[in-house]
Amino acid sequence: MKRWTADWPFLGLVGLLVVVALAMALFAGTPFGLSRYLANAIGQLAAFAVLALSLDLIWGYLGILSLGHGLFFAVGGYVVAMYLLKHSFVVTGTVPDFLQFMGWKDFPFYWAGFDFFPYALLAAVVVTLLIAGVFGYVSFRSRVSGVYFAIITQALVYVAMLLMFRNDTGFGGNNGMTGFTVMFGWPMGTSGMITGLAVASLVVLAGVLVGCRWLVGSRFGALMLATRDDETRLRTLGYETLRLKLTVWCLSAVIAMIAGMLYVPQVGIINPRLLSPELSLEIAVWVAIGGRGHLVGAVIGALLVNAVKFWLSSAAPDVWPFILSGLIVLVVLVFPNGLIDLARLKLVRPMGPKRIAAEVGEAR
Amino acid sequence: MSFWRLPILLSCLLLLASGAQAAPLDRAALVADLCGDAGQMGQAGTALLDVAANGSAEDRAWAAPLAGAVLARGLACDEESAVLAEAGLDALTRAPREPGDKARKPLASLKNRSVFQLADAALALRSASAVGAREAALKTLERKPSQIPDGLLEAAAASETDAGLREQIDALAQTAALNASDPAARIRALASIAENPSRRALTKVSALTSDPAYASNDDFRRAVDAASARIERGIAIGDALATLYNGLSFASILFMAAIGLAIIFGLMGVINLAQGELIMIGAYVTWLVQQGLRYAAPSLLDWYLVLAIPAAFLVTAAIGIAIEVSLLRHLYRRPLMSLLATWAVSLFLINLVRVVFGTQNLQFETPFYVSGGVPVIGDFIFTWNRMFAIAFAIVTLTLTWLVVRKTPLGLNIRAVTQNRDMAACIGIPTRRVDMMAFGLGSGLAGLAGLALSPIYSVNPQMGQNFIIDSFMVVVLGGVGTIAGTVVAALGIGQINVLIEPLWGAVAAKVIVLLMIIAFLQWRPEGLFAVKGRRK
Repeated sequence: MKRWTADWPFLGLVGLLVVVALAMALFAGTPFGLSRYLANAIGQLAAFAVLALSLDLIWGYLGILSLGHGLFFAVGGYVVAMYLLKHSFVVTGTVPDFLQFMGWKDFPFYWAGFDFFPYALLAAVVVTLLIAGVFGYVSFRSRVSGVYFAIITQALVYVAMLLMFRNDTGFGGNNGMTGFTVMFGWPMGTSGMITGLAVASLVVLAGVLVGCRWLVGSRFGALMLATRDDETRLRTLGYETLRLKLTVWCLSAVIAMIAGMLYVPQVGIINPRLLSPELSLEIAVWVAIGGRGHLVGAVIGALLVNAVKFWLSSAAPDVWPFILSGLIVLVVLVFPNGLIDLARLKLVRPMGPKRIAAEVGEAR
Repeated sequence: MSFWRLPILLSCLLLLASGAQAAPLDRAALVADLCGDAGQMGQAGTALLDVAANGSAEDRAWAAPLAGAVLARGLACDEESAVLAEAGLDALTRAPREPGDKARKPLASLKNRSVFQLADAALALRSASAVGAREAALKTLERKPSQIPDGLLEAAAASETDAGLREQIDALAQTAALNASDPAARIRALASIAENPSRRALTKVSALTSDPAYASNDDFRRAVDAASARIERGIAIGDALATLYNGLSFASILFMAAIGLAIIFGLMGVINLAQGELIMIGAYVTWLVQQGLRYAAPSLLDWYLVLAIPAAFLVTAAIGIAIEVSLLRHLYRRPLMSLLATWAVSLFLINLVRVVFGTQNLQFETPFYVSGGVPVIGDFIFTWNRMFAIAFAIVTLTLTWLVVRKTPLGLNIRAVTQNRDMAACIGIPTRRVDMMAFGLGSGLAGLAGLALSPIYSVNPQMGQNFIIDSFMVVVLGGVGTIAGTVVAALGIGQINVLIEPLWGAVAAKVIVLLMIIAFLQWRPEGLFAVKGRRK
């Protein structure tokens, strides 16, 4: 891997993110500032890009495809929604809708302390690590991998969705949670708050990008690539891959959780739809379109696909699924490395002998 | 006069009356009574009731219009006899004639009116030709269960052709017997109710514990307690059987969806995320065949489920082959990408069907061979629509087994599953085998769609309900073995329906998933792993 100083796409993207964040922060409130809608959209896109990075880390660099990353995204989202509701309740006394709906007098006991953000953050990290750790340990220990792992993670997120659809779990049920009024003592929905959240998302995105770049460029990153390419050989050489896979898996889960925490305050609602298998599959599509195994590609893929989706969901909502499936087929058949192929103009025939040679390592 | 003589007296009278009915009906006297005073009219009404219960078929047919005519004041009495005014027929001979000049139309008193209403309903129940008319008559009778003459309901039930109405008649007969005044008759009725335990019977019997006779009569109390105990036991057995039966039919659908997945996964290491949509397409093809028959050959409409079998199989198999040739063929070395590619297909098919057919549930005819069922015990009904799915799955299982074990294609599939490179070396056209196997697996999914169309609702989203469960069947059963898929489908289907009534459907899914993850710790290759080289 190139030294980071020579990795121009990476440096360019980080620079761009920082510049946009700075510009948004400086021009907020002035006539040069972005509209609230645009600022909000940029913030949501940044949250999705963080999510894509989390999946690229585990899929692109370790060869493990998770079709259940929406689960960790939703853990972050639910925890931050709980914080927002409890905090709004403490500051303004607004009783959340779902409590009234269920006819409950008070918050369930496990909501205790969620008005204190550091505690909520800690709870989110612990829950994420617990789910990811236990599930990852039992799966990697029994060498569940590849397609098996993918469909079991899909079942995991599906079951979580069914669980959250129940109204008696104390997490809002099928209506989810909404009506957030206050965050960190400031009212939600003002243009200052929207810009602040968007800037925070951009900064977190840049930070995660730099952190992932550092990780994959390190000696540990080399071991990750080696595990992806030939795990058996690495184990024969005496490396313990279980711990390595588990570490990266948990790290990836935490990054997805952070993305969820950034996303939910910006859309102002969370419901179990976030846990649908379709969303988790879509994350994999962003990464595949951007370029699996390239951090910059994952970010660009997430930004591009979601920008098109935002635009089409108001212009022509019925057309979007057809465009998405067409894009997937295009990427899968013609550009196996996503936009990276397009950038290098490496338009090869769908089944050329060179590509077979290039893909041999992937069969495992 | 002591009261114990009264029942004896009454039964003597009843005996006399029933003895009298053995003799042929005196039609002229009856018509004369109808034109008589209030007392005679009352006798005539009772006589009509008796005809409904015990009369011969001709008598019943003859008597059928009379009660209604009296109620509607449509009976014109003159010197000769009487005329049914509306039809212009003689009441006695049914020859057409006009009523005489001094004809009068008798009006039934309030007391007689209810007798005639009852008689009219009883006659209609026995002799009306339309089901709706008999049903309306039964509704009238239900209001006065204590006045229904003995034997009427039994006779009506015996000659009833409509199954649903017959059940209602039987239920009314039991209610009538339970509310009879004679304790012995009530005890007999209790015993006969306990023969067919159901929740409705339990409510009927448990209501009797507040009856005065329950406290005063020991025999009656024992009979009530015994009957309710017997009914409760029957309900428990019925519920258990119903659970097993539902689990079996769910497992049949799962099996048909998963066997194709398992064959394809064993062969190519590819999971087809569009399998659920192939099920959906199978159900839509079945619906199209039904609609086609409706216009082209309405006489064959009842057989659409059978006629759709080749259509559903061939259409979904063709779609499967198209997916294999256009997409998966290029992705053999990238199994994870094939997941995304097949998801794209699934997304495309769902939205295509949504645009073409809309999102609403499709309406299916229920042919006679999948409608209704045989009540077995308790509330368990051996329904034919579920039996259809189970029988269909058994046939599919047999055919799949024959194809895989006894045909050259099956031999090739097994060879390529065990060792692709070696199979290619000895001249097996592996790509062709892949294509055929993918077609076979997709066609089986289409058949699953056909089999579930009489049971579950059919809409563009339906595939999603089965797909994750069928993946779990493949994970649990292991790849490339039919036995593994059968056992895993049965296990997952049964566990799902066993847990469902206890903790709900969601808990069932959670527990099944946890069990599968735990199971993989013990046997990561599934239940019946094929012994071969790990690829």
